[in-house]
Amino acid sequence: MQISRWLGIALSAGVLAVAGCGDEDDSGGSGASSDATAAPAASVEKFPADTTLGKIQEKGEITIGVKFDVPPFGVKNPQSGDVEGFDIEMGKAVAAKLGVKPKFIEAISDNRIPFLEDGTADLILSTMTINEERVEQIEFSDPYFIARGRVLVPGDSDITGVADLAGKNVCTALGSTYEANLKKQAPEAKLKLVDSYSECLELVQNGAVDAVSTDDVILTGMIIQDDTLKLVGDELTQEPYGAGIKKGDTQMVEFVNGVFKGLKDDGTWAKLHEQWIGKYTGEKGEPPTIGVDEAVELVKNN
Amino acid sequence: MLDVLTDHWSEFSSGFWVTVRIVVVSFGIAMVVGTLVAALRIAPVKWLQRIGGVYVEIFRNIPLLVLLFISYAGLRRADVNINAWVAGTGSLGLYTAAYVAEALRSGVFSVGKGQIEASLSLGFSYAETLRRIVLPQAFRTVISPLGSLTIAMIKNSAIIGVSLLALPDLLKQARIVQARTFQTDETFFWAAVGYLILTGTVTLIIRNLERRFAIRR
Repeated sequence: MQISRWLGIALSAGVLAVAGCGDEDDSGGSGASSDATAAPAASVEKFPADTTLGKIQEKGEITIGVKFDVPPFGVKNPQSGDVEGFDIEMGKAVAAKLGVKPKFIEAISDNRIPFLEDGTADLILSTMTINEERVEQIEFSDPYFIARGRVLVPGDSDITGVADLAGKNVCTALGSTYEANLKKQAPEAKLKLVDSYSECLELVQNGAVDAVSTDDVILTGMIIQDDTLKLVGDELTQEPYGAGIKKGDTQMVEFVNGVFKGLKDDGTWAKLHEQWIGKYTGEKGEPPTIGVDEAVELVKNN
Repeated sequence: MLDVLTDHWSEFSSGFWVTVRIVVVSFGIAMVVGTLVAALRIAPVKWLQRIGGVYVEIFRNIPLLVLLFISYAGLRRADVNINAWVAGTGSLGLYTAAYVAEALRSGVFSVGKGQIEASLSLGFSYAETLRRIVLPQAFRTVISPLGSLTIAMIKNSAIIGVSLLALPDLLKQARIVQARTFQTDETFFWAAVGYLILTGTVTLIIRNLERRFAIRR
């Protein structure tokens, strides 16, 4: 029941995505043909071979760490095996601008920063909030999306907001910003820190936890899978998502910022937002205009 | 190096004690259930032997992680209101019990058949033969394998924190510290030291027991 509904959604999402990327594996180098990532081959800028971007171009492939289980940002379509979502579209746009194929690998909250440090991934697009500690470890692009922290509970729960979480079991991902946020806003909540949000979904469905707290869009993805769940209370936090880049690689940062700015300016961002997020939340999204420093401030004031 | 440990002492020490509790409870379950299953396996009744055999095959052949998912996700979905502690120690204990049963069985079989026949012909009953002749010798033979199993169990306990159960054990706490500090090498070094303290203690206990009960052959 649960599974068939989820498959249905994944399938419909898949149909949408096919329009964008053809039917080969998730590489989608043909993404150049999609309107999302339209970049005439002639406009591909060549980078010197001793830079990261040059090396990526030489390899013909950029490895991008994304979530595999966080609809609507990065989710593996069980039918086609492709990963799809808003983060994936951002990654395809970057790859297209470089004239290379994107290769998507799974990066969970816990390993994405090590992946950048050890070179497993060239770029991280995995619903990663820009915050102070992370800015010390890696570089961030300007925010490409701003999520809001919310609380998700079963439909029959009497929890109405973060204030009711005292003494309750609350699930969130290990290594996510919510661990700290919840300790601050609901110090008496008992946190269950798991590796991925699909585990939180399982735990809230089987009653092992009373609530899940994370970004509204991730929670919306859970409601898409199980509409007996509901969002409650006001927004806890603002979470600007940025692309993660290896520390010190400012050329890459500038390049990615350029790609994102292009998407925001030419209306592609709004189109992708509607396709992947607006459709479910019923809200029209505005592309974020703030930079990394302002994003850090925003998060600090959460 | 040391500052990660001192700055996050509360996380490390609470994780350490959670791991100790998991290990002690699971060890108790493993020994009790393992002994019962071993008794079934060596019982002079065919169908009892078979029950013991089925237990061993089931619990030895399912990965621990799968047992954890069955106990915590599966049973809860079937409206069994099991908590993470029971699911975690139960899974680890029952899993290890299968190995304990096999170790005990092989220990019993290591006692020569001639001794049993001699004991019976001298007028000891079957129960007395087991208690006075077989088990004391079997126990000495299995000290070392049981020690290895206990050490394996301590290490297996780390899976509980990583799984859906998310118990705040030593590895879990280390990963929380790592996620906060990004001092990966230092954090996991101290986690490793924590596990080493536990396994080292077991090794010492085993060595002591072996020395005390050594059979001179």
